[in-house]
Amino acid sequence: MSISETFRQALSLPNPWIREAKEEGKKALGYFCSYIPEEIMTAAGLLPVRMRAPGCTDTPMGDAYMSPTTCGFTRCVLETASEGGYEFLDGVVASNTCDQVRRLYDNIRFKTPFPYHYFLSLPHTQSPTTLEWFAHELVKFKEDLEEHFQVEIGREKLQEAIKAHNHSRALFERLYDLRKREAPVLSGSEVLRFFLGSVTLPVQTFNAWFQKEIEELEAGEGLSKYRARIMLLGSHLDDPRFIELIEGQGGLVVTDSLCFGNRFFRDPVDETAEPISALAERYLYKIPCPRMSGAQAERIRFVMDQIRDFHVDGVIIQRMKFCPMWWGDAFVLRDELKKAGIPCLELEREYLVSGAGAIKTRVQAFLETLEGR
Amino acid sequence: MTEDKFSPYEAMAAEEWPSDLGLWKNLLLGFIANSRLNLAAGIPETPMGELLVKMFARIAKARLEGKPIIMHPFNYGPELFYAMDLEPLMQEVFSVGLAPFHLNEPYIDLANQMGYGDNPTLCNAQRPLIATHLSGDAPKVDLLFYLSAPCNSLATTYQVYQHITGVPTFTMDIPYWSHDPSSPFYDEKTLEYMKAQYRDCIAWLEHQTHRAFDPEKFQMTMRRVNEARENIMEFNDLLKTVPCPVNSMESFSNYLTMVLSGGTQEAVEVTRWFRDYAADHARKGIAGVPGEKLRIAWPYTHTFFDRDLFPWLEQQFQAVVIMDILGFYNIPPHDVSTLEKCFDSLALGTLDFSMIHTCRGPAEFYIEYLLRFIEDYRIDCVIIPMQFACKHAYAVTKIAAEAVRREADIPVLIFGCDPYDSREVPSEEIRGKIEEFITEIVL
Repeated sequence: MSISETFRQALSLPNPWIREAKEEGKKALGYFCSYIPEEIMTAAGLLPVRMRAPGCTDTPMGDAYMSPTTCGFTRCVLETASEGGYEFLDGVVASNTCDQVRRLYDNIRFKTPFPYHYFLSLPHTQSPTTLEWFAHELVKFKEDLEEHFQVEIGREKLQEAIKAHNHSRALFERLYDLRKREAPVLSGSEVLRFFLGSVTLPVQTFNAWFQKEIEELEAGEGLSKYRARIMLLGSHLDDPRFIELIEGQGGLVVTDSLCFGNRFFRDPVDETAEPISALAERYLYKIPCPRMSGAQAERIRFVMDQIRDFHVDGVIIQRMKFCPMWWGDAFVLRDELKKAGIPCLELEREYLVSGAGAIKTRVQAFLETLEGR
Repeated sequence: MTEDKFSPYEAMAAEEWPSDLGLWKNLLLGFIANSRLNLAAGIPETPMGELLVKMFARIAKARLEGKPIIMHPFNYGPELFYAMDLEPLMQEVFSVGLAPFHLNEPYIDLANQMGYGDNPTLCNAQRPLIATHLSGDAPKVDLLFYLSAPCNSLATTYQVYQHITGVPTFTMDIPYWSHDPSSPFYDEKTLEYMKAQYRDCIAWLEHQTHRAFDPEKFQMTMRRVNEARENIMEFNDLLKTVPCPVNSMESFSNYLTMVLSGGTQEAVEVTRWFRDYAADHARKGIAGVPGEKLRIAWPYTHTFFDRDLFPWLEQQFQAVVIMDILGFYNIPPHDVSTLEKCFDSLALGTLDFSMIHTCRGPAEFYIEYLLRFIEDYRIDCVIIPMQFACKHAYAVTKIAAEAVRREADIPVLIFGCDPYDSREVPSEEIRGKIEEFITEIVL
């Protein structure tokens, strides 16, 4: 089995690596957001697993408790939890990523409790004051993990974990450099599979395989048969099939602003600073997602830089239905892209990939527009 | 028409105003007309009509005289802004003020046409702001201040407004945890965090306005806030009386007073008026709703587009809505003897403000408020008109309703609607659901 094929197995939850880690006595902790530092969980000897709901097909409980007008992701996770789909997890960690995840965490606690729950009050603004608060939150998180799991998370362990996760980030950086080529080495859907692997596998295992894969890719030929180079932005997206719908029409996704993408790996943690302060600094000041107030200009600048560096022909914004924050950002971005003369397509989607025909038709028309320029 | 207390404001409106104050002027004249109609119809007069008229006039005057106007959301007491001699403008006065006349609906449509959100995704309390601004119908403001709570929808629209207008903005992060040492969700740094943000905010305001923060004026303002809070707490206690001494609308008045005028002498006097009114009725055994049969908890906002809904409930079922979630202004007076304690009070007031306290943290904040309210106010049933776009509230109501049925053993009705848009779920449908609930389940 090739490494790429191996990574495909990472899609399911639980997957063989989680089972293996559990058999070795390792505890697994589910977490919800790219603002929650994996390093602290890794340093505690835990396996951090990003929460997803890949097998969910229907959401009666999610609809009833979360309401039918909350996003499909939160409804699917609650549904999966209620069906025992996360029994392999020893706990769950959430933050006030958004109102919907905050309330999902409540509903999980009330209706389908895990053995361990933890919540991080993540600031919505970037300033020295909020940074100090966030560092305080991270110290509490570390101490709570130590107490609950009876482990010690010393400075050295944190530094080791930071190094390991920084190594992942550096590898993703190399991968993204390969996507800048005229013939990018990998499709966007394959890249997403690596991200899913990175948030599911033990970090050392992931790094070892990922490094080999990148070395092979560096030596290999790229993809030259595509109609346009696409930047993909938007809400939580963990299903490669959605990107396949775009790439199946000839639009090659070469870069992104996604939490399973650039927002996940850019900006390494400072390895020379005091670990908790360094983590707080990195996570609070990383490429901001729309939950961060007052950071719109920074987000726009990031998108424009990516468009330039990755020679992007057009942008696709995918908004998960009922996500207020991404609607706000899409409204502003659409306008900024228009001013810059960059074609943009906005797609509303459900968490569970549906309406493939309509998506294909709209992407097809968009690609024709790009080709006609 | 003979001269009355509204005549000076009418004369002011007769002058030429900048074009961005056109809608504002209409609102001022509308509220004057409404107050006069109420008087002519013999509806007992409260100070609210005058408070609203004064507020519209104050903003216009500030704009005409070049006094800095600072926009802020509906869940924030503006005392700091008064203390710094700024003119606060509560943005949602548009959506709430226009909704009973359906005059906000064209702006909702305009937001749709502009591609800014839809009803189940972004709240229509804020969404029309983008449309009113882009169509030139929103008053120009000099500064913007908003909170990260209670919802993403609010923060998103303010963030978009910040971007498209370039108005200097301060966002205050509202933490998840409790400041109360007795709470299982207590965090010892919560209050300090808020105070540190206030220090940042004051530095920002000083920089933006070139006005120095005056500690004495601030302390005086906080003493007035305290006086008003004392009045409101007494009023809230009086509403525990059976029958309830006021009708279903009155508790909202205290909230509105504090969100528009908190920190002013006017707020002290208005809240005192309502306290005295409730005390007088309670003493005399006068019911706000004659023949009171049902006491309802309404732990969400009013359905603003239907101002006759509560009177209908009162007439149809002799039911009194004791308080909605905004009317639940439950902030006790604090020690404000020193400047530092004044900052404590300011920060606590922000964390405990209507809808912020109940909705900013874990589900328990909302559930405990509701259960306590049911017990304290001897509630017979709960009605929750859930706004489709209100993610944090909608996703907690089901577990809250289960807690109410389990702990208080009273029925709960939850239904979806848009309090700002009569076209989503019309009045008739809402009344049908309530009528069925009361006749089939409650009675």
